[in-house]
Amino acid sequence: MFCLDTYLRESEDYVIHLNRAGFKDCAKFIEKEAKSVVYIPAGAKIVGARIIGVPPVPIGIDEERGTIMLPYTKPCYGTAVVEIPVPKEEIDQVKSLKIK
Amino acid sequence: MKKALILLGCPESPSQTPLAVYVTYKLTQMGFDVTLASTPSAMKLLEVSDPDGHYIKNKIDIESCLDTLNQGDYQLLIGFAHKDAAVSYFVTFYYILNTKSIALVFHRDAEMLDAFQETIKDNTDAEIVAARAYHNPTPIRVRLDRALKQLEED
Repeated sequence: MFCLDTYLRESEDYVIHLNRAGFKDCAKFIEKEAKSVVYIPAGAKIVGARIIGVPPVPIGIDEERGTIMLPYTKPCYGTAVVEIPVPKEEIDQVKSLKIK
Repeated sequence: MKKALILLGCPESPSQTPLAVYVTYKLTQMGFDVTLASTPSAMKLLEVSDPDGHYIKNKIDIESCLDTLNQGDYQLLIGFAHKDAAVSYFVTFYYILNTKSIALVFHRDAEMLDAFQETIKDNTDAEIVAARAYHNPTPIRVRLDRALKQLEED
């Protein structure tokens, strides 16, 4: 099963678009830059992690490249926007959680 | 016994650790079984502040807590919301637990304080205990005492 924390520790195949930002700025970035956006509830589990944020939480999807763009929050470092390649079933899982 | 979860944020704010010990003391007196969820660094500060565990009986790493948390696990959530990330964590825990919640919102900057309060007010039904504070925990403690008294009377 895909695990976001382990993936970010062990792989270099990801892009950090924003770092040490506020959640609102990260949400706006995803809404503006992602090819398509799905909104999920705060605390929903995707890519093996619970997503922190103020709902509805935007997740960017690029089906062609097989990537998702998501807010990634840590208590002392604020929120980052991370884009990672994921298996197709993880994209389907994101879509299944859609609330908006 | 009713269970309360105290959610701590980044320990950068000097008021957080003494307030966490104080809230634990008050809630224990009110009959709650209290657990504190925090980062490892915030936990170290708690351990040094209460070496014999007189006040703090149950601690859990914030990420482990988040991973296993379910609705119904706790009947009260009290969260420190003194940074943007702490506000996001509080709102997320609020939605997972879906229970009575109190946000302790404090910051030394009035605009940030207003922004944090607005985000919590617009997105939850949590009670907000707010004060402009940084080093001095008293303003937030006084307001918290009022909120806890109200909670006891409800």
